[in-house]
Amino acid sequence: MASSVSSQHDQVLVEEKSFARILTFNRPKQLNALSFQMISRLLELFLAYEDDPNVKLVILKGKGRSFCAGGDVAAVVHDIRAGGWKAGANFFMKEFTLNYLMATYSKPQVSILNGIVMGGGNGASMHGRFRVATENSLFAMPETALGLFPDVGASYFLSRLPGFFGEYLGLTGGRLDGVEMLACGLATHFVPSAKLPMLEAALCAVDSSDPATISSIIGKYSERPSLKEQSVYNRLDVIDRCFSQKTVEEILSALEREAVDRRDGWISTTIQTLKKASPTSLKISLRSIRVGRLQGVGPCLVREYRMVSHVMRGEFSKDFFEGCRAILLDKDKKPKWEPSKLELITDTTVDSYFSKVKDEDWEDLKLPARSKFNLPPYVIAKL
Amino acid sequence: MDRASQRTQILANHLLQSSPPSPLSSNACLSYSPPELSENYAFDVKEMRRIIDGHNVEERDWLFGLMRQSKLFNPKEKGGKVFVSPDYNQSMEQQREMTWKRIEYLLERGVFKGWLTEKGEAVEMWKFAGFEVSSIYDHSLFTKLGVHFFLWGGAIKFLGSKHHHEKWLMDSENYLIKGCFAMTELGHGSNVRGVETVTTYDSNTGEFVINTPCESAQKYWIGGAANHATHTVVFSQLHINGTNQGVHAFIVQIRDADGNICPNVRIADCGHKIGLNGVDNGRIWFDNVRVPRENLLNSVADVSPDGKYLSSIENPDQRFAAFMAPLTVGRVNIACTAVYQSKVALAIAIRYALTRRAFSLKPNEPEVLLLDYPSHQRRLIPLVAKIYAMSFAANYLKMLYVKRTPQSNKTIHIVSSSFKATFTWNNMQILQECREACGGQGLKTENRVGHLKGEYDVQSTFEGDNNILMQQVSKALFAEYVAAQKRNKAFKGLGLEHMNKPCPVIPSQLTSSTLRCSQFLVDALCLRERDLLNRFIADVSKCKAEGESTQQAFLMCYQLAEDLGRAFSDRAIFQTFIEAEATLPAGSLKDVLGTLRSLYALICLEDVSYVRYGYLSVENGASVRREITKICSELRPHALALVTSFGIPDAFLSPIAFNWIEANSWSSD
Repeated sequence: MASSVSSQHDQVLVEEKSFARILTFNRPKQLNALSFQMISRLLELFLAYEDDPNVKLVILKGKGRSFCAGGDVAAVVHDIRAGGWKAGANFFMKEFTLNYLMATYSKPQVSILNGIVMGGGNGASMHGRFRVATENSLFAMPETALGLFPDVGASYFLSRLPGFFGEYLGLTGGRLDGVEMLACGLATHFVPSAKLPMLEAALCAVDSSDPATISSIIGKYSERPSLKEQSVYNRLDVIDRCFSQKTVEEILSALEREAVDRRDGWISTTIQTLKKASPTSLKISLRSIRVGRLQGVGPCLVREYRMVSHVMRGEFSKDFFEGCRAILLDKDKKPKWEPSKLELITDTTVDSYFSKVKDEDWEDLKLPARSKFNLPPYVIAKL
Repeated sequence: MDRASQRTQILANHLLQSSPPSPLSSNACLSYSPPELSENYAFDVKEMRRIIDGHNVEERDWLFGLMRQSKLFNPKEKGGKVFVSPDYNQSMEQQREMTWKRIEYLLERGVFKGWLTEKGEAVEMWKFAGFEVSSIYDHSLFTKLGVHFFLWGGAIKFLGSKHHHEKWLMDSENYLIKGCFAMTELGHGSNVRGVETVTTYDSNTGEFVINTPCESAQKYWIGGAANHATHTVVFSQLHINGTNQGVHAFIVQIRDADGNICPNVRIADCGHKIGLNGVDNGRIWFDNVRVPRENLLNSVADVSPDGKYLSSIENPDQRFAAFMAPLTVGRVNIACTAVYQSKVALAIAIRYALTRRAFSLKPNEPEVLLLDYPSHQRRLIPLVAKIYAMSFAANYLKMLYVKRTPQSNKTIHIVSSSFKATFTWNNMQILQECREACGGQGLKTENRVGHLKGEYDVQSTFEGDNNILMQQVSKALFAEYVAAQKRNKAFKGLGLEHMNKPCPVIPSQLTSSTLRCSQFLVDALCLRERDLLNRFIADVSKCKAEGESTQQAFLMCYQLAEDLGRAFSDRAIFQTFIEAEATLPAGSLKDVLGTLRSLYALICLEDVSYVRYGYLSVENGASVRREITKICSELRPHALALVTSFGIPDAFLSPIAFNWIEANSWSSD
């Protein structure tokens, strides 16, 4: 069954090119922030394409200077104000279901990350088989500054980056350019943006879902540019030493010890960033990445859904609402976190974010069944 | 022929199939079907893990993560997944070097913070957890750490006094000092009191003089001695003014900071071993090595500057027992890690059995999954039940240890001896069964189960030979009996209170519901223990009446002693299971544990002693067996959930536990 081709006002544009389907995020003014409507549409399209033998490949890209700047959090907050926390949880349920479908998709997904790719944008791309970065790529998982935590399956994909780079990115919201994304493995390829039209044309001529074939096509347009000298990825040693520590407090003191040994702007900026982030967010994020490192992608998303439900419910902390107020609505950039200090957050409080939500109507995330599909080995390895 | 393109073709054919191929159509190749997608979890596996791990779950995961993320832990990608395991194909020297580098890495990350300098239950439990996790990676890593922290560090803590603690513990925790433990000699292992190393005191210089008087007195198997250790605790006879005061412990430096062997010390290598080649076991000779008087670990006994022997414990037997304290914590530790090795092996074997097929029942039918064969269930599922039981028992043992009081020392000694022997023997059986259950794949080192046999075999010997430990258990039970009779008092402690009650009676006809009733199962296990203890007492008394010494009588009654030791262990383990179960709220998790509990006890009832001594009729014995097979098939749907609850991260299992077809594909090599 072929999907209907979209009109230019749709939030997701759909193009059918032979065996390829090109899906374009089309909310450039909002930097393609994912709305509930977009997520639902993507879910519908992905499900349909999986059953459609005429689809071999799905390409995702964004209109304008952003691939996708994340979930439309402002809308989520608005929904919660209007309809209670479950309206918020519902958004994430849909989004995480989409993330799982992408992670376990039986056909290759190629995401063209030619611009901003943050938060939910990473959820919509990192789980796919191919991620193409360009000189315009700008990656971040900035949730801890917003009172949230790296979700959309980030506890799976961040935790699998080399060493403790995932902890660094997840806790500090550190930004990466396309070269760095390639170096650490978030991107599978780097293609200069000038070559993207040719790449797209070549991909549209593909008649196979074979990942090796697709990889070699992308490879023809790829480059391996070298990292800038100042790149954070050249600091993997310090990052490993500090971000491997057991607790957030110990990570901070490890960074402070490093700062004593030598004056380094990067270290003090990193310390400052951590001190500005929500203490609750930092603690649950670290735990999430650590647990996620040892879990398959499905259990990661189920756990993150529990966590995000607790965050939306605001039972232990309302930092998410405060973060959205300070960053997105009032824009005073001065959130007042509560609890305000790391030491005020006990392990028991952290534990509670990982427990089931005690609410009659609430249920754990139900992952869509995947057993009827012939999953490729790279998907099986993620289960 | 271009194999790569051939492979691509096969892969493409796979991907192009719109519907999944039947598991065995005549022309398609087999595909790996991940058990996660077909097996359901009827209970919360994370909650189950929390219960059986018992403590420090987050810290365990942190430590797993530290190893998983470091190149030092030799990550290898197979079938799209990363596995960490030492390269056992390296030379002995390379393996030792890697073990040391891994320790340095963990040290830098703060893993050992407080392990020697902090006191209290929290750090002791975390230490146990840390050892369990490190053993899941590699037994050499575990052993090197165990020697340093539990034997060397433990000797200083338990046998030394305040100034020793202040001088040595912090530097040891930071590995500025690398310790080892020189107890065993070529001529004396279990019989520590017979060691031949001799120490005298020179009151002119205020020094002890330590000497290896003959070849059989050379220290042997000293972990850490061959390459890395800078210091050791030497166990030696102490001769003061011509009187032998028995075995005492002394600190001796054996290498300087640059690794040069100290004067008057000779060190040789123990050479290549059947496992544990990442541990540098060495042999040490002391040629009248002089150490300051303060180097005597003097919590039990001291020598004054002018050479007088002073001891707070008059009785030499008790004094000697006090010197064995560091071995107790080692035994606890070994018992607990043996359970985790079994978990690794069972998780691998069960996962493989859920994905590997063999033989069709009818022509053109799909082949049958290994775990769907009742015989395969019967081989593996009772072992899972045993490991659940032993997990609870291990947690009980750890708690017993960290909450120790002077009064509980005897119990700790008996229970740790019994559990150490039982768990480590059981581990070897499980490793062998799992190796065979994985067929040829079990023979590949990368698949772990087979290789682990060589690595873990030593557990039945170090920190006390299993057979000797079990003899001590029977002797201790004998002593309890005699003491209770003499004082005409009730039994108290070691779980022997059941001896005070009337003897339980086994119904003449065992129904399925009786066989799953915990009271019946407790009774059946207590009955055997009680009867064997009575028999043991009777036989020993008979021997003595015939003129044998008590020691000789024990030796002659060894068969009963062995049966009694097993009966004590089985019953004690079972009781911890019952107690753990009782604390849980009703629900699917508790139901599964209840079934496992019954299965564990029924396996014990299947022991030949039940028929040998007539506790079960032949008919009842048959009912027990029938019930076991029934329970195995009932637990079959839970198999994946039960091994997932072990909480061993994928990276610490092995390729056959996952997509073994992809892991072995041409393009993966």
